Amino acid sequence: MSDIFRIILLIVSVGTFLFIIKRIRQAKVQIEDSLFWILCALVLIILGIFPGIADFLAGAIGVFSTVNFIFLVFIFILLIREFSMTIKISQLENKIRELTQAIAIKETEKENKKEGEDL
Amino acid sequence: MKELLIIIPAYNEEKSIERVVNHVISDYPEYDYVVVNDGSKDNTARICRKNGYHLIDLPVNLGLAGAFQTGLKYAYRRGYQYAIQYDADGQHKVEYIDKMLVEMKKGYDIVIGSRFVEENKPHTARMFGSRIISTAIFMTTGKKLKDPTSGMRMLNRSMLKEFALNMNYGPEPDTISYLLKEGVSISEVQVEMDERIEGESYLNLVRSIKYMIHMVVSILVIQNFRKRDKRYVSGNEKERSGNA
Repeated sequence: MSDIFRIILLIVSVGTFLFIIKRIRQAKVQIEDSLFWILCALVLIILGIFPGIADFLAGAIGVFSTVNFIFLVFIFILLIREFSMTIKISQLENKIRELTQAIAIKETEKENKKEGEDL
Repeated sequence: MKELLIIIPAYNEEKSIERVVNHVISDYPEYDYVVVNDGSKDNTARICRKNGYHLIDLPVNLGLAGAFQTGLKYAYRRGYQYAIQYDADGQHKVEYIDKMLVEMKKGYDIVIGSRFVEENKPHTARMFGSRIISTAIFMTTGKKLKDPTSGMRMLNRSMLKEFALNMNYGPEPDTISYLLKEGVSISEVQVEMDERIEGESYLNLVRSIKYMIHMVVSILVIQNFRKRDKRYVSGNEKERSGNA
């Protein structure tokens, strides 16, 4: 890993870390949702400081360039993340639909009851 | 209205809810209770309606944190002085609430029904997790909590308000650790808990590992950066920092 790449890695990961911490301080994000970014940033910071770890892992699975190894790993991680986000969003949409329906049905029932009393 | 509200979050507890709530109603009429049905897929809500229980029926599943917070919002709006989280699966014993309330009135903000104040922690896998969390809390706060994962927690008025109205106040050890570090006074009272009779534990192996990572990273890293809304610092705390 070149020194410049290490520096970029460190700047980006420390920046991510600080940004997400700021959001937590402002109570803008739930801790369980911030966990992924905190862990990713910490891993990148560690790899930036100790590039030997990435060199070793790259060698162990037979990837020649350490940088390629880091790319590969993070593409996998982000793909999995993307997949889990899709599932989460779809569950959220479903919940919103159920909520909207529940509220609307309750309102109608309330109105029907009122009309019943008037009669 | 009574001074204490027992909040009973229930998710798919049709087998145990009747036994648990009937016990509270018949033997402890000096407390109020409310069942928060967390969008159960079974007959939990129907059973509660049939028996005429006090029920808040959530139309979708929010998870334990959301369900408990619903109960706390209710407690806050109705003006209760104290609220306690009480499991619907029959693990908690209502007999100990009185003891916890007595401790609370000595001037604590949170009282935890702890299994290990006088008893020793057994060496099981679950308690290994509990030890790790205790250690993490000790490392960040310098204080020892014997049973951080106990779900039986009692809050005073200022705490229940803070829990009810804010984000990131889930009923979990990381919140407790954060508040402990902030100077909130927390006491543990020895209680017994029953083994769960019906239903399966929510925690399987994968979930347990995820939970542990979540708690440890949250306690050791994230909670240290949180900023507390000073409006919620209670009279208790001000008094203590004044004395210090």
